[in-house]
Amino acid sequence: MATYNLRKGRDINLKGKAAKEFVKLPLPKQIAIQPTDFRGLKPRLLVKIGDVVKVGTPLIVDKKHPEIKFVSSASGKVCAINRGEKRLLLEVVIETDGKQDAEKFETVGEQKLKTLTKKKVTELMLNSGLWPIIRQRPFSKVANPEDNPKSIFVRALNTDPLGPDVDFILQGKEKDFQLGVEALTHLTEGKVFVCTKKDTQIKFSATTKNIETHQFSGPHPTGNVSTHIHLLDPINKGDIVWYVEAQDVVRLGRFFTNGEYPAERVVAITGDIVKNRVYAQTIIGTPVSALLQGTALQNTRCISGSILSGKNVGKNGFLGFYDAQVTVIPEGGRREFLGWLVPGFGKYTFSHTYASAFLPEKEVSLDTDENGGHRAIVLNHLYDEYVSLDIVTYFLLKAIIAGDIEEAEKLGILECDEEDFSLCTFACPSKVDVGAIIRKGLDLIEKES
Amino acid sequence: MSFLKEKSKEIEEKFFSKGKPLEKLYPLFDALDTFLLTPGKITRKAPHVRDSVDIKRVMIFVVVALLPCIMLGIYNVGFQILKAQGSVGSLPEIMLKGSVKVLPIIIVTYMVGGLWEGIFAIIRKHEINEGFLVTGILFALTLPPSIPLWQVAVGISFGVVFGKEIFGGTGYNFLNPALTARAFIFFAYPAQMSGDAVWAAVDGFSQATPLAVVAASPKGASAVAALADAGYSLKQVFLGFIPGSIGETSTAACLAGLIFLLITRVASWRIIAGCVVGMFSMSSLFLLFKGPESLAFFSLPPYWHMVMGGFAFGAIFMATDPVSSSATNVGRWIYGFLIGGLVVLIRMVNPAYPEGVMLAILFMNIFAPTIDHFVVQANVNKRLKRVKAVKES
Repeated sequence: MATYNLRKGRDINLKGKAAKEFVKLPLPKQIAIQPTDFRGLKPRLLVKIGDVVKVGTPLIVDKKHPEIKFVSSASGKVCAINRGEKRLLLEVVIETDGKQDAEKFETVGEQKLKTLTKKKVTELMLNSGLWPIIRQRPFSKVANPEDNPKSIFVRALNTDPLGPDVDFILQGKEKDFQLGVEALTHLTEGKVFVCTKKDTQIKFSATTKNIETHQFSGPHPTGNVSTHIHLLDPINKGDIVWYVEAQDVVRLGRFFTNGEYPAERVVAITGDIVKNRVYAQTIIGTPVSALLQGTALQNTRCISGSILSGKNVGKNGFLGFYDAQVTVIPEGGRREFLGWLVPGFGKYTFSHTYASAFLPEKEVSLDTDENGGHRAIVLNHLYDEYVSLDIVTYFLLKAIIAGDIEEAEKLGILECDEEDFSLCTFACPSKVDVGAIIRKGLDLIEKES
Repeated sequence: MSFLKEKSKEIEEKFFSKGKPLEKLYPLFDALDTFLLTPGKITRKAPHVRDSVDIKRVMIFVVVALLPCIMLGIYNVGFQILKAQGSVGSLPEIMLKGSVKVLPIIIVTYMVGGLWEGIFAIIRKHEINEGFLVTGILFALTLPPSIPLWQVAVGISFGVVFGKEIFGGTGYNFLNPALTARAFIFFAYPAQMSGDAVWAAVDGFSQATPLAVVAASPKGASAVAALADAGYSLKQVFLGFIPGSIGETSTAACLAGLIFLLITRVASWRIIAGCVVGMFSMSSLFLLFKGPESLAFFSLPPYWHMVMGGFAFGAIFMATDPVSSSATNVGRWIYGFLIGGLVVLIRMVNPAYPEGVMLAILFMNIFAPTIDHFVVQANVNKRLKRVKAVKES
C-alpha cells in the first residue's frame, strides 16, 4: 500500500454539502435507463410501450456487442420511449408497480466465488445486466468483454465539488465490497487497485496478492480515475485498463450472494438551494425530482453528478447510471454594469484579479454564468496547474486542434478523459472548453483505429 | 441596470441580430455592449460553472499596471522639454507640456489600431479582442516623444496587421505585435527613431541617452565615469528623468507595474526572473573579462545595465506576452535568460544599435517555439521510456 499526496489541482469549496445521514426514499413512480450515459453506445431496443418488465429484464442491448445488456432497475411496465434529434434514443421509462419482482440469476455464494473463472464471471455479469458497471480506458466507454485488461481500478474516493463521501456510503457494506473486488480479480491477469482517500475508514483487506490498496490525498482532480491510473499503472498505446465505481463493486458483491440484479443506489443530494441535503437511498435511474422534493426549482440547473463533470438533466430528468450525486445551482445570465471594473469582493476566482482572492477562503455559491466572452487561448500557463497528470496540456490541445493524432498520442491523450480538464475550462479567462477539445481528440482517435 | 439591459436588447434585435441591416457590424455592437454590461451567457454543459475572470479583466489589468509608466512618461516628456528650453516648470505645467506631446500619440495609436482590429473582427466575424488595448499602449510608450503622428499610424497598422491579424488575431501571433510595430518604424524611419535628437520633443535640441553616452566612450574608458561626466547619476536614471522613449525611461515606474502584475499574477514571474538572471550573468561575464583595450561597455556594472534603456520595460511588459513567449515553465526560464543575455550582447558587441531590448525580445519570440519543442519532447520521452521499460520486462 502506498499513500500519494498530490498538490496540483484545486478544490472549489461550494456551499451545500449533504448531511451525513442516510434517508430511505420511497420507490419512485418512474425510473429510466438512458443510453446516452454509456459513451459511444449504439442501442438496440428490446421492449415496446406496455411491456411488463421485472428488475433485471433487459431493455436494450449494444448493437456491436449484443451480449451486453442494459436492464431495468424496477418492476413495472414500459411507459415511454423518448427520442431526440435523428431518432436518437434518449430514455426508456418504466412505470414502477411497487413490487420490485426480480429476475432470478444463478446464486454463486461466497465460497464458490473464489474458484470461478474469467469466463464464468463475465457470463454472469453479462446475463444479469451488471456488465456495464465496468468501463475502460482509453475512451471511458463500457468495457468489451473480450478484452484482457492489464489492470482494474476501483475508485473509492471522490474529490468533485460536494462529491459524495465514499467512506460514508460504504459503511456497513464492506462485506459486499470485499466480495465484489474479489470477483473483479478473476477478470484480469494483472492487479486490481482499490483507490481510497487517505486514512480511509473503509474496512477492506487485500485477500489475494493481486489486490493492492492505495490512498490519495490532495485537491480535485486527485479523485479522478485517470490520476490513479497515471500513477499506478499508466496506459501506453494499445493498453486497456478497466475501472469501476466503489458503489457498483458493492452491487456486484451483493449480486454474487443473492443472484438478483441489485438496483440500489445511494445519492448525495447537494447544492445550497436544496431543502433536504442528505444521502438518499434509492434505486438506479431514479428521477431527480424524487430526490429534490420540497425544493423550488425555478431558474435552477439540476445536475446529475457534480458541477464540474455532471450532466444537465433538467428538473424532469433522471439520475445518470454511474452518478451518485445530484447538484442544484441557480442559472446565471446576470448582466452587470462595467463588470470588468468592479473590485469583486464577492466574485469567485482562482486568479488574483478580484478582491475576493485576497480574503480568507470560505464556502461559495456559484451559478451557471460564463462570466465573460469567448476568446482565443491567451494565458496558456494556467492549464497545467489544474491537471493532476504529467501532461503538457496546451501543446496537447494544439496537436488535437491541428488534427495531429500521432502527436496527441505521444503527448499522452490516451491517459486522459475530458473530466480531467474541467478545472482548466473553469479557470480559463478565454472561456475555452478544454475538455471538449480533449474529447474531440479521443473521438478522432477512436474513429481512426 | 435593467434600463441598459433592455435598451441593449432592443438595439441588438432591431439592428444587429441575424437578418437585420447592421448584422455585419455585430462585433462592434458586441464590443460596446460587453464593455457596458457583462455578457450574461450561461454554460451549456459540464463544467457548469466558470471563474469570474475573463480576458477583458486580464487585459485591463495590464493597462492598469502600465499607469505608473504612462504618468511618469508624461511627466518626463514635459520635464525634458522645459529642461531643453532652459526653464523649470511647476507640476501642472510639466504635465500639460507632456500631455500635449504624449496624448496625441496614444490617441492615434488606439484609433488606428482599433480601426484595424474592428475591420478584421467584422471580416472574420469574431469578437473584438481586448488585446489591442495592451498592444496600443505598449507601442505608444516605446516611441520617442518627437515622433510624427503619421509614423505612429503607419507603425501600429503594420504591427496589428502583420504582427497579429494575418496570423488570426490575438492568441495566434508568434511575434509581439507592439514590438513588431516598433521594429518596423525603427528600420523604416531611423532618423525619427534613433540618434540623439529625438528624445526631447524640442526642435534642434539634442542630448545623448545614457546608452549612447556609454557607446560613444573611447575604448578602455570607464563607463560609469563617462556617465557621470554626461550628468547621469544612478538615481536619476533609475527614476527615469532622462531623455528616452516615452514610457521606458523610469525603472521605478516599471517596478511599480511589476509589483501589481505579481500580486495579481497576470504576468509570468519566471520570464522576468529569467531576464534579470540572464542580464546579470552576461554583463558580469563581460565585466570579468574587461581588459585595458576593451569597449567602455565592458566596464558597465550589471545594475547600471538594468536601469538603462528599455530593459525593465521590455522584461516586465514585452517579454511576458504569454502568446509570443515560451509556453512551458522550463521554457520560460530559458527564454527569459536568453533575452537578458542577448540584450547585453547587442548593446556591447553591435555598436550600430546602442539598445538591444527590442531586437532581443523579437529574436527570442522566434525561438520560443524551438525552446518549447525541446521541453515538450522531454515529456514525450518520459512516456516513450515507460513503453520501453514495459517491453523489456
